[in-house]
Amino acid sequence: MGHEKRSDDKHGFVFNIQRYSLHDGPGIRTIVFLKGCPLRCQWCSNPESQKVSPEVALNSRKCIGTKECGFCARECRDGAIIEKDDGQIRIDRNACSECFRCVDACPSKAMTLFGRLMSVDEVLRNVEADGIFYGRSGGGMTLSGGEPLMQPGFARELLKEARRRRINTSLETCGFVDWKVLEAACFHLDTILFDIKSMDPVKHKAFTGVTNELILDNFERLCREFPNLSKRVRTPVVPGFNDTMEEIGAIVDFIKGRPNIEYEMLAYHRYGQPKYEYLDRVYTLSDVHLDDGRMSELRGMAKERLGKLALENEPTEPRVRMEAPCATCGS
Amino acid sequence: MNTCCETLSPQEQRIQEEIKGIFNYEGRERIYKILNSFKNERPVIDIERARYFTESFKQTEGQPLVLRWAKALKHIAENITVYIDDNQLIAGRVGCQGRYGILYPELDGDFLDLALKDLPSRVESPFNISQADADLVIDQVGPYWKGKTFHEDLAASLPEDTLKLTYDPKDPLRSRFIVNETASFRSSIQWVHDFEKVLKRGFKGLREEAVEKLNSLDPLSPLANVKKRPFLEAIIILCDAVVLWAKRHSALAAEMAKKESDPVRKKELETMAAICAWVPENPARTFHEAVQSQWFTQMFSRLEQKTGTVVSNGRMDQYFYPYYQKDKQEGRLTDEQATELIELMWVGMAQFIDLYISPTGGAFNEGYAHWEAVTVGGQTRTGLDATNELTYIFLRSKREFPLNYPDLAARIHSRSPERYLYEVAETIKEGSGFPKLINDEEVIPLHLSKGATFEEIYDYAVSGCSESRMPNRDTYTSGCAYINFAAALEMVLYNGRMQIYGDEQISVPTGDPRKFKTWEEFWNAFITQQTNFIKHAFIQQALIIELRARHFAAPLGSALHDLCMKNMIDLHQPVIEGGINLGYFEYIGYGTVIDSLAAIRKLVFEEKKLTMDQLLKALEANFEGHEAIRQMLMNSPCYGNSDMYADSIAKGIDKAALEFTKTYAKELGVHLDLRYVPFTSHVPFGKVVSATPNGRKAWTPLADGASASHGADVNGPTAILLSNFNSKNYDYRERAARLLNIKLSPRCVAGEEGTAKLVSFIRTWCDLKLWHIQFNIINKETLLAAQREPEKYRGLLVRVAGYSAYFVDLSPDLQNDIIARTEHAYV
Ligand code: SF4
Ligand code: SF4
Repeated sequence: MGHEKRSDDKHGFVFNIQRYSLHDGPGIRTIVFLKGCPLRCQWCSNPESQKVSPEVALNSRKCIGTKECGFCARECRDGAIIEKDDGQIRIDRNACSECFRCVDACPSKAMTLFGRLMSVDEVLRNVEADGIFYGRSGGGMTLSGGEPLMQPGFARELLKEARRRRINTSLETCGFVDWKVLEAACFHLDTILFDIKSMDPVKHKAFTGVTNELILDNFERLCREFPNLSKRVRTPVVPGFNDTMEEIGAIVDFIKGRPNIEYEMLAYHRYGQPKYEYLDRVYTLSDVHLDDGRMSELRGMAKERLGKLALENEPTEPRVRMEAPCATCGS
Repeated sequence: MNTCCETLSPQEQRIQEEIKGIFNYEGRERIYKILNSFKNERPVIDIERARYFTESFKQTEGQPLVLRWAKALKHIAENITVYIDDNQLIAGRVGCQGRYGILYPELDGDFLDLALKDLPSRVESPFNISQADADLVIDQVGPYWKGKTFHEDLAASLPEDTLKLTYDPKDPLRSRFIVNETASFRSSIQWVHDFEKVLKRGFKGLREEAVEKLNSLDPLSPLANVKKRPFLEAIIILCDAVVLWAKRHSALAAEMAKKESDPVRKKELETMAAICAWVPENPARTFHEAVQSQWFTQMFSRLEQKTGTVVSNGRMDQYFYPYYQKDKQEGRLTDEQATELIELMWVGMAQFIDLYISPTGGAFNEGYAHWEAVTVGGQTRTGLDATNELTYIFLRSKREFPLNYPDLAARIHSRSPERYLYEVAETIKEGSGFPKLINDEEVIPLHLSKGATFEEIYDYAVSGCSESRMPNRDTYTSGCAYINFAAALEMVLYNGRMQIYGDEQISVPTGDPRKFKTWEEFWNAFITQQTNFIKHAFIQQALIIELRARHFAAPLGSALHDLCMKNMIDLHQPVIEGGINLGYFEYIGYGTVIDSLAAIRKLVFEEKKLTMDQLLKALEANFEGHEAIRQMLMNSPCYGNSDMYADSIAKGIDKAALEFTKTYAKELGVHLDLRYVPFTSHVPFGKVVSATPNGRKAWTPLADGASASHGADVNGPTAILLSNFNSKNYDYRERAARLLNIKLSPRCVAGEEGTAKLVSFIRTWCDLKLWHIQFNIINKETLLAAQREPEKYRGLLVRVAGYSAYFVDLSPDLQNDIIARTEHAYV
């Protein structure tokens, strides 16, 4: 495992490669999730994507405990695996040196490593495995994250090489990146999925950690300079943040009439919540609930103003397939 | 329903509405009246067929078998009760009203007395029988067959080593579920008649052909006198029997019409009387006549013999089309009327339950299994696309009226029109498991290499679970072996023994695995065990082929087969000149074996994280106290993920099996091709296999068909397709069907975009030349709810193994098995 190394043009940190993705660009796609994100959205369902460097996660549900196992504790040289009274373990994050020996030792995959250094070729060989499905469905590769452009050279090279191998490309971005970086990626793109979360800079800052000026500027420039690029604007609808007519209406009005635009609204869900526990982080938005009726009202309004929406049946599932059962239905 | 399961399939929506008491019968009032009259009743055994068949056999001892069979059928036709059902427009049933099953004592008469006691309480597919009927069978039917059945002969003829792998040597009624024969619970494997022949020529035409042949026999030839003459006489008697049976219906309808006071019904009964007087004796002239003629033929064929899976219906959208087209042109028929007529046939089918008396048969065919496959789509005899208006009527009917009868199979080829694929996808999305898909691009070239002509194989019909038939060319009907290869793996671990059978040496000793130094040694030991199983399956088969000819005949099947008529020989005879014998043997537990071998290779021999001794101790303890080992095993490379580590092992064991049959099938004069179609046998087979090195606990189900082990496929459905592709040996013609289950959540296919993506998924499946695929589009939540409250979910259909069944009719084991199939959601 090459986690000591760093991300460069030819190598980068990938935390998941997900095949048979149906809702992140045209056709049947493979999503490559890159580590690192400049935002800290309170509702983030992929907390493992935020840091660029690899990190270890512990899913206690899968852990079989020290009575029958305890392999991790035996492998750890830093005393960072703490045995709890109930025979389960926890990680002392302060003591942990991120050597990931415990991950290799864990028989049940309760310990997982988020972030593996992969080469461009390695990633694309994975992506090409489903090539025959792209041909029939018009699908291809989608780069996602995190914010894939946090590893700008690697992301650009992946897109460029994918194009060279005749793989349809798509990029999902939060837009909070240097224009030059975004521009370089766009030269190799067939579709872009661009998140616009709120038109209100203050609120944006409060809920995501950054203001939205750079994002909106980038978006306008994208529309100007790449008018022919197909763009899908996406808004996660989050209760208490932007689930109002005014908020969504403002976004709709902002994008309306721009070239090659589709709009999609993603309903807030909490399926990422268990992963916060795996990483010993705190999920701050846990007790809000998005009303189904509200969602369809908002969707109706957006549809009326824009003519149509990208997906009538948008996903309500976690973007990254989860390891734990769904918190609500157990599936 | 909570938010994460909010996308429901149309079937799930309908069930939710029905729970609230909302039913929609609009436009199908007649059909629902009939359906509701029998829907939730437990099936009853009707003994008339067994009784009259046996009566006749008692009178014909010593005569040629085919003649005896024809006479028995005639005796049945003369005496069996005939019925005209309320509201029905199609006549013909072979047992009492409501859901019923019939008996075939020539198969299992020797233990009917025992079985009849168990049937009402059996977990899998129970049946009721009245005491008087049970007594009659026990006193008059059973005793005649004792000592005469196929099953007894087979058990007596098996060599000792083969017997040990087949039955409990002390009780041949009990299968060991290792090398399992299926020839004794059905007289034939799946079959499709050339129904078109009846529609075009009528039984009058077939009779004339037999008479003509009889008149031109060489009167001096001993062969003609001993073999051909009785065959032709049998055909004549058979034709008379079918016609006589039909005319009794005509008479009954006419009589009922006279008494009927409702003028509308009176008219209907008069029409039925007229139609039943005309067909199947004469060629059909209208769509209604064609449907009635086909129906009489298929029902009479059920009286003739028990084919595995019920006789299939062939390419209905093709052979009915001329009648549909003509009636439409001449203004006699609307699409609504055509739909009603075929659905009247479906509700007729739904009342006949394929009854398996033996415990093995019952375990193989749970949930009142049946596969009277109706084929749609595909290509014409000349290789053009075959879809027509009727194709779409069949698909639409399945969407709007998703009864689990008949099983619907859609043939797909590389140029299948978009409209067809979209309608197929829309039908799949309904969520009841229809249609299953069969791939022309795999089936056609493969059969060409096995000796079919283009014309014959372009016109194949889907038959049974996932097979194909050329009704005038292939002739093989012996039940074939289902082999438990997870047991072969166990034989390696315990040196030719199995945990469940203690110290008994059941298979060849391959040495103590603790002493194996290399993966190659382990691999060779496995191949030795695998080969030994196949060897005994072939020994079984050789005996079965011989015995079958002495126990069974099929005058109706023969009358409808060009080659039987040409050679004047019964379909059950082992050699029919010009025919192609397409038999098979079944690989059960494929995913279980692959994942186990991959784990052993990696953990024991390559990474040396485990010793063989540790592994064996964990397995013997069924992993109690060895959970860490179990987890390591489960997290090793698994089949179904498009991972070459596992897939190359999969390909290797497939190839070894193909090599065996390539060498030895010739000796039997048949093709015995490698198939991966389990019915529901992976459940009982799992019950004899102790813990396996893929982390599977003892006595739980094996992986089904060519699907991945439960929960092992974590890379989504594209990877499952690719694993299947990776593991097939396309350079061998000895391969046959592979059954592939894919479970998708309704969210995956939601909306127009979901349909489009399902279509492209199917197109890719076709490109990959995979044989079969079927889908369960259902939320796991719904299945769990159905387990909790079965009364509310009586109507819930799920795809089992090449057929759909009511979920609540399945045993808890099989229900859990279906729930455990990995559900693929999108991200
Ligand atoms: S990553 Fe290394 S230091 Fe950290 S807990 Fe695991 S073994 Fe210990
Ligand atoms: S190695 Fe894994 S399963 Fe074992 S105790 Fe540690 S975390 Fe739990």
